Amino acid sequence: MGVSAVPGSGKTHILSYLASQLVATSIDEDQEVLIVTMMNSAVDNFSRRIAEFMQREAGLLPNVGYRVRTLHGLAVDIVRERPALVGLSETFDIVDERAATRLLEDIVQSWVSAHTDVLTSFLMGDIDDNKARWLLRDRWPGVVQDVALAFIRRAKDQQMTPAGVREALSGSEQRFTLATLGAEIYELYQRALMYRGSVDFQDLIVLALRALESDAELLARLQRRWPFVLEDEAQDSSRLQQRILELLSGPNGNWVRVGDPNQSVHTTFTTANPQLLLDFMDDPLTKSITMPNSGRCARPILALANQLVDWTVAEHPSPACRDAFRQQHIEPTPPDDPQPNPSHDGRVLYIDGTAYAPEAELKTIIESLARWVPAHPDETVAVLVPRNEKGFQVSEALRNKGVPFAELLQSTISTRKTAGALVHVLRHLVDPMSAAKLARCYEVWRRDDRGEDEVAERNDEAIAALRRLRNVEDYLWPRLGNDWLAEIEAGGAVREVLGTFREVIQRWHRAAGLPVDQLLITLGQDLFTDPPSLALTHKLAALMRQIGDDDPTLRLPELADNLAEVAKNERRFLGFDQEDNGFEPPKGVVTVTTMHKAKGLEWDRVYLMSVNSYDFPSDLPSDTYVAEKWFVRDSLNLVEEALAQLASLSNLYAGYVEGRATRQARQDYVKERLRLLYVGITRARRDLILTWNTGKGRLPAQPAIPLVALQTWLEEKR
Amino acid sequence: MESKEASQVITAPHSGGYSVFLEGPAGAGKTTAAVRRLEHLLHEGVPGDAILVLTPQRTLAEPYQRFLRSQDAPGGSEVTLATLGGLARRAIDLLWPLIAEDAGFRAAERPVFLTLETAQYHMDQVLAPFLEKRYFDSVAIRRNRLASQVIDNLNKAAVVGFPHQEIAARLSQAWTGDPGQPRVYEQVQECASAFRARCLENNLLDFSLQIETFVRHVLPTPEGQSFLFQRYHHLIADNVEEDVPVAHELVTRWLALAESATLVYDWDAGYRAFLGADPQSAYELRKSCRRVIWMERCLVASEELQDLGTRLAPRLRRSASLPAGRGRQALVYASFRFHPQMLDWVADQVSRLVTEEGTPPREVAIVAPYLSDALRFALALRLERYGISAVSHRPSRSLREEEGTRCLLTLTALAHPDWGIAPGPFDVTRMLVQAIDSLDVVRAQQLSRIVYRVRDGRPALTAFQEIAGEAQERITFLLGGRYDELLGWLEAYRQGGASSLDHFISRLFADVLSQAGFGFHRDLDAARVAANLVESFSKFRRAFPRDADQAQIGREYLRMVQQGVVAAQYIEDWQLDGDGVLLAPAYTFLMRNRAADYQFWLDAGSRGWWERPYQPLTHPYVLTRHWPEGKQWTDGDEYQVRQLTMDRLLLGLVRRCRKGIYLGISDLGEQGYEQRGPLLEVFQRMLRHAVQAGRGERDA
Repeated sequence: MGVSAVPGSGKTHILSYLASQLVATSIDEDQEVLIVTMMNSAVDNFSRRIAEFMQREAGLLPNVGYRVRTLHGLAVDIVRERPALVGLSETFDIVDERAATRLLEDIVQSWVSAHTDVLTSFLMGDIDDNKARWLLRDRWPGVVQDVALAFIRRAKDQQMTPAGVREALSGSEQRFTLATLGAEIYELYQRALMYRGSVDFQDLIVLALRALESDAELLARLQRRWPFVLEDEAQDSSRLQQRILELLSGPNGNWVRVGDPNQSVHTTFTTANPQLLLDFMDDPLTKSITMPNSGRCARPILALANQLVDWTVAEHPSPACRDAFRQQHIEPTPPDDPQPNPSHDGRVLYIDGTAYAPEAELKTIIESLARWVPAHPDETVAVLVPRNEKGFQVSEALRNKGVPFAELLQSTISTRKTAGALVHVLRHLVDPMSAAKLARCYEVWRRDDRGEDEVAERNDEAIAALRRLRNVEDYLWPRLGNDWLAEIEAGGAVREVLGTFREVIQRWHRAAGLPVDQLLITLGQDLFTDPPSLALTHKLAALMRQIGDDDPTLRLPELADNLAEVAKNERRFLGFDQEDNGFEPPKGVVTVTTMHKAKGLEWDRVYLMSVNSYDFPSDLPSDTYVAEKWFVRDSLNLVEEALAQLASLSNLYAGYVEGRATRQARQDYVKERLRLLYVGITRARRDLILTWNTGKGRLPAQPAIPLVALQTWLEEKR
Repeated sequence: MESKEASQVITAPHSGGYSVFLEGPAGAGKTTAAVRRLEHLLHEGVPGDAILVLTPQRTLAEPYQRFLRSQDAPGGSEVTLATLGGLARRAIDLLWPLIAEDAGFRAAERPVFLTLETAQYHMDQVLAPFLEKRYFDSVAIRRNRLASQVIDNLNKAAVVGFPHQEIAARLSQAWTGDPGQPRVYEQVQECASAFRARCLENNLLDFSLQIETFVRHVLPTPEGQSFLFQRYHHLIADNVEEDVPVAHELVTRWLALAESATLVYDWDAGYRAFLGADPQSAYELRKSCRRVIWMERCLVASEELQDLGTRLAPRLRRSASLPAGRGRQALVYASFRFHPQMLDWVADQVSRLVTEEGTPPREVAIVAPYLSDALRFALALRLERYGISAVSHRPSRSLREEEGTRCLLTLTALAHPDWGIAPGPFDVTRMLVQAIDSLDVVRAQQLSRIVYRVRDGRPALTAFQEIAGEAQERITFLLGGRYDELLGWLEAYRQGGASSLDHFISRLFADVLSQAGFGFHRDLDAARVAANLVESFSKFRRAFPRDADQAQIGREYLRMVQQGVVAAQYIEDWQLDGDGVLLAPAYTFLMRNRAADYQFWLDAGSRGWWERPYQPLTHPYVLTRHWPEGKQWTDGDEYQVRQLTMDRLLLGLVRRCRKGIYLGISDLGEQGYEQRGPLLEVFQRMLRHAVQAGRGERDA
C-alpha cells in the first residue's frame, strides 16, 4: 500500500497505532512488525508511541513484537545475522561518518599532492600561480573530498566495486578525468577500510542487500520474522532501501509505504529519490491512498504553503523546475475532527521584504524573540535556518541576549559538552606546564556550578588566579616552603576550592599513564554525575580504545586530538542525544535548528531566516550555487560531473557531455530547496515570519523568487 | 558421603585395562570423583609418574593440581598433568634427532616451538608480500585477525586430522554466498602453505606442526610409543567433550594399552567448538570403555535454578521440571536506559550480597557475552568503591600498555640511537616520570622539552648540568642529579657495545631503576613488568636462528611492539585465583569450571549470547570430521547452531550457579545501540508463562 500524506496529517500517530494493532492481533510469538524510518529521532518517537498504545489499549508488554529501525539499523541487524556470508568477521567495526571522513581526508591529501596536473585542468583561466598554489593547498582538497565522497557513495549504491569501476574505465573509449579521480580514491578508501576490518554506513546497506539476495533461506527466515513492513518517510527511500524492503516483504507480503513527495529534502547529498515512491504509488498492484487533511497549521499558513505549490507548478520562471511538487493541496481538518486547525486570530503571517545585511537580519530576529518569548511562556517557538553555521550564530546571539534556547543542530550540545570537557582535561595532561590549559580544566571541573553569585565570583577569581600562575609546578607539585597556594588569602573560598582542585588534578596526573579507555572512565567519574554523560564517556572510552588499537603508535596527544574532533562537531552518538530520545520542542524556549532537522516537528511560532537567492536559487542566470566553486572553470559542478561520468560508465546514459550534469544539478537543487521552503512553512502552527538577507558574496544576494511571489500573493490577498 | 556412582568410579579396578566412561551434566560431581580416583590410585601404590591426567586446556586441570599440592596427596613421584599440545612438544623435543628428517626439518638444528605470538609474527611476515598483491581485498578484517585465522585453519587441519592442502576445497564446497568467496579461500590456502613452507625451512613448529609431527612422525615410532604408552599406565582424561578428534584417537589407542582409564564427559557442552573441540567424537570413546557410569543429578544448582535452566534451554530438556513459575524465584532482573546505570545496579546488588548476606566475594561471578576492557575497568572501579575486590580473566592491561613497559622501551630506544627509533616527546616525559622517583609530570615535561632532541631521526639527550640555571632551579637539583645519573648509565652502556635486549633491560633495572631515587625502587609491580618484558623478548628471540644479529632482533622487537603485534598478549601465567568477585566473559567462566553462589548476567539484550565467533576465513563446523563432503552450510544450519549454542551456554551457566541469577538489562548497550538480542526474548517468554501460571493458580 502506498500512502501520500500531507504535512501534519498525523501519519506517525496512525502508523504507530497500526503497528500496535498488528502486534496485538496479527503476529505469532516469534514474529515482529518491522517499522523503518529515516532519522534516529523518529525511531524513538515511534517506539514510545507504540509502547504506549500496547500498554494502554492492548494490555501487552511494551518493547516486544516490533522493531523500529533506520535503514542503517536494519542493515546492521541483517548483516549481523550472517556476517561471514558477506565477508565480515563477527567483530567488524562500523566506521561512523566522522571516522570515514577522516580516513578520506588523509587519502585525498596525498592524492591531491600527487595529481596537481589533474586539478589544474579544471582551474579558471585567469588565476595566477600564487593563487593557484594557495588554492591547491587550501581549497582543492575540500573539493576533491566532496567529489570522492559523492562518487564512492553512488558507486556503492550502484553496487560497483573499485575493481568494477576500474574495469569499466579501462573499457571506455572516452577519457573520464573525474571518474578516474573518484575510482582511484575509492580504491584507496576501500582498502583502508578493509585493513581496519571496518565497513561504512553505505557498505552496510549494500552488504545487507547482498546477504538477502544470496541466501534464500536467510531471506525466508526474515520474511517469516517480519510479516508486516511499515515504511515511514518513503519519499526519501533510495533504490537500495526499496530493494531491501521489497525483498523482506516478499511477493505477497504486507508493505505499507507512507511519505510525502512534496517533503523530499534529502536528494542532494544522498541517494534518496522521491520518484521511487511516486512510481510505486502509480503501480497498478499498489493500493494508493492520500491523506490530504491536516490540523497542524492555521488556515492562512496552509493557504501560503498551497500557494507555493500552485505558483511553482504554474509559474516558476524555470519551466524545468515546475515539477518540484506533486500538485496536492493540504486541506484543513473537517469541522468535527478531534484535531481542529488552530485559530489565526491576532496572530502573525509576515514576509519581511527588507534587504537586511546578515547581521541586521539576525539582530532583528533576536530582538523580536527577546520581546515575544517572555510574553508567551506557554508557547513554542523556533528559528529555522538553511545551514548549521547560521544556527550556531543564532544560538550565540541568543546566549548573549539572555534568551533561553535549545539547540538542535548537527552536533548536539550534550555530545559536545561531554566530549569537550574530557578533551580539556586531556589537553592539560598532555601539556601540564600550561597555566591556560590548567585554568580551562578548572572551568570544566566546576561547569555545573550555577545560581549563586558568590560561587560564580569565587570561580572567576580562581580561574583568573590560575591564568596568572607563572610556574604551574609551584601550585600542583610544590617544593617544601614554596607553595603558591600559601600566597592566596587563608581561610577564603578560593583557597579552599583550589586546594580541592589540586587534589583532583594530582589524582588525574597519576592516572595519566593508564590506557586511554581507563583514563577516560576515571576522569568521567570525577566530572559527571548524570547517566547520559557517563554513558557517553563510556562509549567515548571504548571508541578511543579502538582508535588506539587500530594505530598503536598514537599517544595521548594524538588521541586528545581525535577526541577533540568528536567534540567539535561532525559526529553524533546514537542514543545519547536529546534528539534521539525524541525531541519535544520546549515551551518558552527558542528552538534553533535547520529546516532539514525541523521535519516532523511543529512550533506555535516559526521564523524562517535567509530566504534569499543564494540559499533558495531559481535557475536564473544571475543565481550562484554552493556546489559551483568560483575557481573552477565553466562554473562546473565537479561533484555532479563526476557522478555523470560514473553513470556513463555503468551505461545508465549513453554518453557524457561536459556541463550537462551541472545544469541538471542546478534544477534538481532548485527543486529541493523549494520543497525545503515548503517544509519550513508547514512547521508553523500560528505565527510565521520569513526574512532574507543580502549575503556575504561579492554581489549582494536577492530575495528568493518564491519569497517575492508569496509576498506579492499575500499583499494582493489583503 | 559420596554417591554410589562416585564410589564406583573411585574404586574401579586399576589393572587389566579397566576403563570407565563417566558422563553427566555439569555440577554432578564428576571431576570431584575423578580427582578422588587419582587419590585412590596413589594410595593404592600406583607410582605418580605412571599416571597421566589429560585435559583440553590447562585451566581444566586446576582441580587436580589443587589436590596434588594439598596435604592429602601422598608423596612420591610426580603425576603428569598435560594437554595434547604439551605432550606433543615434550615428545618432539625428546625424539627430535630421530624424527626431524622424516618430518621435513633439518635434524642438525634444534626445533623452535612457536607461541601464539611468535607464530603471529611469522605469519605477519608471510602475509606482507601477499597483501601487497592485494590479497584479501574483499574481506573486512584487521591484519592481526587475518593472520590468526590463517593460523587457525592450519590448526583445525591438524587437530581434526586432514591434510592442510584441503583447507580451501573444504571451505569452498560448503560456501553458499558471494561467488567471489572461494577465491578468498584460495588465497588463504596459498598463505597457509607459504607459512608451512617457511616453518619447515626454519625448523619452526607452530601448534599445527607440533600436532602433525607428533601424530605422523612421533606416534608411529617405537620410541614414541614407549614415551607415551609404556610410561603412563593409568590415564584420567577429563572434559573429553572439549578436546579435539586427534586427542580422542590418542585416547582410544591408550585404552587398549593402559592398565586403567577414567574418561569424564560433560553433557550439553562443547564450548571450545571453534577451537576444534568435538563432543561427538568424544562420545564415541564410550564404546571403547568397559563400563559406562552416569551421574545424572546436578548437585550444584538449586531446584529452582534447575527449573530455570530447563525453561531457558527447552531444546536440551532431559527431565520433567517443577511447576511453572518456580524457576522465576531464582531470578532477579532490572532494566535501565543506559549501560552505566545497569553497572551501578550490579555493584549495588553485589555489595548487598556481600555485606548484608555475608556472601564471600569469590562466590559471585559477573559474566557478559563480551567483556570489553572498558566494561571490566568500569565494573571493578564501582566494586572498589564498596571495598570489594574483583578478579578477572586477565590483567587489566596488556604488557605493551603497562607504563613500566613503555618506560623501559623508551629507554631502550634512547640507549640505541643507531636504531633510528625516536620516541615522541610525550613518551620521553612519561618515561622520566616513571624512571625518576618523585619527579612530577610538570617538571618532567619541562626537563624533556629542554634535554630531548631528535637529529636526523636519531634521538639524543643532553645533561642536566648543561641547561640554564633558572630551569635547573625549577626542576630542582635533586631530581636533575638523578636524571644525570640515568643518562650517565645509558652513555656508559653505549660505550660498552651493544648486548642483547633482555640483557640490557635486566641490567638497566638492576643497576639503576630499582635503586633508591629511581621510579622502580618503590614500585613492587615494576619488577614483575621488567621480568615479563624480558620473558616476552626472550620468546621473540627464540623464534629467530641462533646466529641472527642481536641488534636487528632488538630493533625488530621494538617495531613489532609498536605495531601491536607482540607484547599485546596478556601475561600467560595469569591465574584466576584470588578472593574477589570474578569478572569474565561467559565462556571463560564456563571453561574455568567452577560454580558460584550468585551469577550476574550483564547485557542481557546483547546479541552476543546468541552469536558464535564468525571467522570469514575459516569455519568451525565445516572443518570437522562430521561435515559431509559437498554439503553446503546454509542459513538453517547457522540458525540451529546458534540456538543450540545459546541453550548450552545458558544451561552451562545455570548448572554452575547455586543460589540465584541476576539479570542486568540496558536499552542501550555499551556502544549506545539499542539491544534486542534473543536472550531477552527467551526471558520474556519465560516471564510471560510464569505470569500466566500465576494467574492460573490464583483463579484455581
